[in-house]
Amino acid sequence: MIAQLRQRLLALQRAPGLRKGPGTLPLGIPAIDTMLGDGLMRGALHEISAPGEAHLAAVTGFALGLAALSAPSPRLVLIAEDMALAESGALHGAGLDAFGLAPERLVMVAVAHRRDLLWAMEEALRCRTVNAVIGEIRCGGIDSVAARRLSYAAAESGALALLLRASPSNDASTAATRWIVGTARSVGTHGPGAPRISAQLIRNRRGPVGSWILEWSDSDGQFILATLAQPVAAPTLDRPHRQVA
Amino acid sequence: MLSLWLRRLSTDRIARLREKSREQSAPLVVAGKRNNVEVLTAVDDAAERLGLLPGLTLAQARAMHPDIEAAPEDIDADAVLIESIADWCLRYTPLVACNTPDGLLLDISGCAHLYGGEHELVADLGSRLEDAGFAYSLAIAGTIGAAWAVSHHGKPASYACGEERALLTPLPLSALRLPPATIAGLARVGLKCIGDIVDLPRAPLTARFGPEVLRQLDRALGHEHEPLTPRLPVAPYAAEQRFAEPIAREEDVLAITERLARRLQFALERRGDGARRIELSLFRTDGVVRRIAAGTSRPLRNPGEIRALFVERLTALADVLDPGFGFDMARLSVVVAEPAPPEQIGIAGGEDAAELCRLVDRFSARLGARRVCRLAAQDSHIPELAEAALPAQAVNVDAGWDAFRRYRKEIELSPRPLRLLSRPEPIEAVAEVPDGPPLRFRWRRALHEVIAAEGPERIEGVWWSEHGGPARDYFRVEDKSGLRFWLFRAGLYRDLPQGAAAPSWFLHGTFA
Repeated sequence: MIAQLRQRLLALQRAPGLRKGPGTLPLGIPAIDTMLGDGLMRGALHEISAPGEAHLAAVTGFALGLAALSAPSPRLVLIAEDMALAESGALHGAGLDAFGLAPERLVMVAVAHRRDLLWAMEEALRCRTVNAVIGEIRCGGIDSVAARRLSYAAAESGALALLLRASPSNDASTAATRWIVGTARSVGTHGPGAPRISAQLIRNRRGPVGSWILEWSDSDGQFILATLAQPVAAPTLDRPHRQVA
Repeated sequence: MLSLWLRRLSTDRIARLREKSREQSAPLVVAGKRNNVEVLTAVDDAAERLGLLPGLTLAQARAMHPDIEAAPEDIDADAVLIESIADWCLRYTPLVACNTPDGLLLDISGCAHLYGGEHELVADLGSRLEDAGFAYSLAIAGTIGAAWAVSHHGKPASYACGEERALLTPLPLSALRLPPATIAGLARVGLKCIGDIVDLPRAPLTARFGPEVLRQLDRALGHEHEPLTPRLPVAPYAAEQRFAEPIAREEDVLAITERLARRLQFALERRGDGARRIELSLFRTDGVVRRIAAGTSRPLRNPGEIRALFVERLTALADVLDPGFGFDMARLSVVVAEPAPPEQIGIAGGEDAAELCRLVDRFSARLGARRVCRLAAQDSHIPELAEAALPAQAVNVDAGWDAFRRYRKEIELSPRPLRLLSRPEPIEAVAEVPDGPPLRFRWRRALHEVIAAEGPERIEGVWWSEHGGPARDYFRVEDKSGLRFWLFRAGLYRDLPQGAAAPSWFLHGTFA
């Protein structure tokens, strides 16, 4: 009897986004997928920060790469604050095309206030036909209530919710994963190559974290693990594999 | 046709701003500069009783009556006031025209019975205007000209239908809306009232005084049609509701919106139309009219969805709605309607698109239509003009990207940045060779050492236009920390005239 009640309590207490539901989104890179538990969780909030404002393009690229995986031809909603669009530039359709995304399936929303951004993200997540919702915050944080609302909204619809930040933050959040993504040096000096980023998983509700260098592969239409010209230390796991209750 | 003349518009406007105790205060005149002289432009009743009339110089008036009060003329404020009265008159008829500077023309044909007849309509209009503190005179007649003439010169509030001739004959010629010079000319030959010229031979009159005299006469008599140009376009569909008790709460406004939308739905369905732009007019008891408009991305008929749009609009302007003492009338009009196929239910593909349209509509209603965009490819090779973010409600689904993809494949376009600055930002760059990529550059005060570069990709300016700008050499460069930028040099060295400054560099976008 007690055990049964405990079970029910556990089921109720489960953090949003971790319940059984929409499933996962494999990145196609075994090293990362096993760490995430079969891939990035759908129907959950993921936070991607840039180490500095200049790396925002890499963050955008990573987010778009993830969004491109979410459906065969995904419908995206991108919500950004006016200031972010003015400072870092708006999405360029021709560049979007290179990530295998169709510009005509993107809706861009510019908002003046943070509360509008959160409202718009939530509304977009509740829309059944949207596959991925990307919100961009330039500075400051969002309160944990808002983050939890986003997580619940994503869990209900099964869409991918990505929150981009221009600088990393430590505030509490219900995000399923947290990444710090910056640009990585291209190989050789023959000119800049394909989009290449260093992705650092700093928080993973399903267990271990790590860091990788990824390169966008046009032919595969996904990120692949980059082969490095210089030898680097193997990515280490700084936490033992841990099951979340 | 109803002509409304606000005789004391300027002085009433000033008096309304003050306390109500007008009896004790001094006679009020409004003065403005005419030919460098301060001249009275408007006077109130008390001043007119003293013999002051518009046209008198202010100095003379002061000499005659030192205790008058003079206010400066404010034509803009008068215009704003007459427009807001015109808005308010929309409660009687959708066809309201401003007759500058101080009159209004209302086409009330087919509307009077809503108030129980012309007398009742005039009584309602008059009592409301009096409550608001306006002196007025109005007349209803079969033609615009006759109504105007009677309201300005005849016995106020006399009605005539089809008997313009008898009505106009005793009135002076100035009732015909003629320029003062013509009236003076006619007066010189002894023609003082309309009756004097009605039966005169037409040809000599036209030869001497121009065609305007007879045209105005014909218009007033109804021999020639005079079109009324309404101030606002008339909505193809409208439904309205008057309330015995004013409403003020947001829920009530939304409920009434849905009820009106349901009424409109039948009309829209019968004609096979859908609404693209809907306007809700709320008439406040004190005469202010609030107009709230919402656009849609596809023809809409469903009352529930229309209500949802206004929920967002009202949230966006919650503090601006300001019901005051409440609204006593609401009107929902479809300003732009478009043919819409009959509704189909249950086809999956259509539902998907509709769902996204609903989302876009809600965003547009809450945030403004220009904040919700879709990218559309444009016919230009200049990178910042090659695509435009257009309001998502207006863009059709394709937006030219198929053509762009074909073009890109054909000419093997080099990579484009992921984020493009809306306008290129100037940078300080040092290049190794004049035509080569920069060695290092400073952008937003940070120094970037270039370690890899690709280019140039030459993009010509719009050479066929005077304002085309120079040709640009674009480079894709990577700095030491791996950041990738899209830079260009504006202008080529080969085009530089002797002794000119070196071309400047700009940063245009960033790559992932």
